Order: sequence, then C-alpha cells, then structure tokens
Amino acid sequence: MSEFFAMSGYGKYIWPAFGIGFGIVVLIYVMAVSSLSAAKQEAKRRLEMNP
Amino acid sequence: MATWTWFHRFASPPWVYGFAARWAPWFGAAAVLAMLFALYGGLILAPPDYQQKDAFRIVYIHAPVATLSLAVYSTMALAAAVGLIWRMKVAHAVAASCAPIGAWFTVATLATGMLWGKPMWGAYWVWDPRLTSELVLLFLYFGYMGLRAGIEDPQKADKASAVLAIVGAVNVPIIKYSVNWWNSLHQPATTKLLGEADMDWSMVWPLLLMLAAFFLYFGWVMLIRLRAELLRRERNASWVREVVT
Repeated sequence: MSEFFAMSGYGKYIWPAFGIGFGIVVLIYVMAVSSLSAAKQEAKRRLEMNP
Repeated sequence: MATWTWFHRFASPPWVYGFAARWAPWFGAAAVLAMLFALYGGLILAPPDYQQKDAFRIVYIHAPVATLSLAVYSTMALAAAVGLIWRMKVAHAVAASCAPIGAWFTVATLATGMLWGKPMWGAYWVWDPRLTSELVLLFLYFGYMGLRAGIEDPQKADKASAVLAIVGAVNVPIIKYSVNWWNSLHQPATTKLLGEADMDWSMVWPLLLMLAAFFLYFGWVMLIRLRAELLRRERNASWVREVVT
C-alpha cells in the first residue's frame, strides 16, 4: 500500500495534482449549485415583493 | 421544414430551463461513474511509463482539465457569436455560464502542469509558449467575467463581452499548436483524434474515459449554471413565477 502511495518517488507531485484537480471539480459543482440556489431565492423574494 | 426548425426551441428560455433541469442529473451521474472507472484504470491498472515512471499518471488529471480549458473557451466564443449574430439571449446566457467553469479549469491546468513540470523539467514554471499562452487564456476568462460584471446594462454587457470572447478565440489554436510551432519543453499531444496514439492502449483507455468524463461533467455544471443565469435574466417573466413557486 505504501508503495502505491509513494508512486516510485513521485507521490509528492502526483497526489497534490489529483487533489487540486478534483478539489476544483468539487468547487465548480458547489459554486454552480449555490449560484442556482441564490438565483431561485432572489426570484422568490422578487415575487413576494411584487405578487 | 420541421427538421430545420427543431432547434428554434433552444432560443426559448423556459424550454431551455426545463431541458437543463431534466438532463443535468444524467450528465452528473455519467460523469461521476466515468471518473471513478478512469481513476481506477489510470492509477491502478495502467503500467508505469518507461521514461517518466509513475509521474506520467498526472496526465489523467492534467490532460482532461487542459482540454476542457480550451473546449469551454471555444464553446463560450461560439455561444457569444451566436448571441451576437442572431441576438439570442439564451446563447449569451450559455457564454456567461461557461466563463467561471473555464477559468477554474485553466487554474487546474496551470497547477497540475506545474506539479508535472517540476519532476520532468526541474522547474515549476518556465516561460514556454504552451504555458504562457495558457496563462493568457486565464486572463481572457478574467477579462470576460470582469467586463460582464463592470457593465450594468445586460444587453451592452452581452455585446461587449461577446466581442472579447470572439477576439480571444484566436488564442485557442495558438495554445493547441504552440508545441508544434515553436521549440517547447512541453511534450506534444499523446493522443490524436485521427491516427495512433503514442501510448500503449492500457494507458490510453483511462485517459480517453477521463476526457469523456470531464466533458460530461462540464455538461452537468454548465446546465446548472445556465438555469441560474436564465432565472436572473428572465426575473420578470411569467415562467419564472411557475418554476420557483
């Protein structure tokens, strides 16, 4: 197992690369969902103010 | 006639909103599944490279995000052009939805590239044509988003940002072919659309699967962002009342 994580000595580059890459993948998704949620809230608020 | 007019519905914000709501979860499920299989193939099944050893595995994250950074910009420029020429609000909304996604893909490309560059070239960053043109791409995304945010009138913002997106598209082939046109430390493409890849199939299939996964993922998050963009743009339309209540 430790051999797998060591990646023949390149683990210190490989794992941060995958961490950053997939971290950004999660971040893009979270930001997209929050953007949709905020847009829905804003639309609801406007409808309540101008029924 | 009907076969030529089916795409007209893509100009209708409520239809596109419904389409995005229906299809986004399917794109998401397919993307996550494909990413998991590709990760298994790339990190466990694929053998080490004879020159780069295990360091080559960075390709399974770097190449997909790099490809998407260009594909998203191309989609954004194309949508901007359609919006500008045919005055389609939905096309401008697509372009606006693409920009933050593409900017993050470009950040991921630069960061993962730096982590690959250090063990291969001995430096995190070199002012190489490929790296420099990719950095210019990030500034183009920032410029597009900054311009949109800086203009209050949505129609003027659409027009001005569309022009910038279209002009900036000249950078896409520069990035793609920089490794062929100039002396570059960056390796040329390892997979080709036509012709044989320079890698063994056991290494290639996880890469192709990861590429497909990232395209599906882009479809997923773009459709979510597009729904948000349409709600903001159409806030006074009657269909918005129906979808939020």
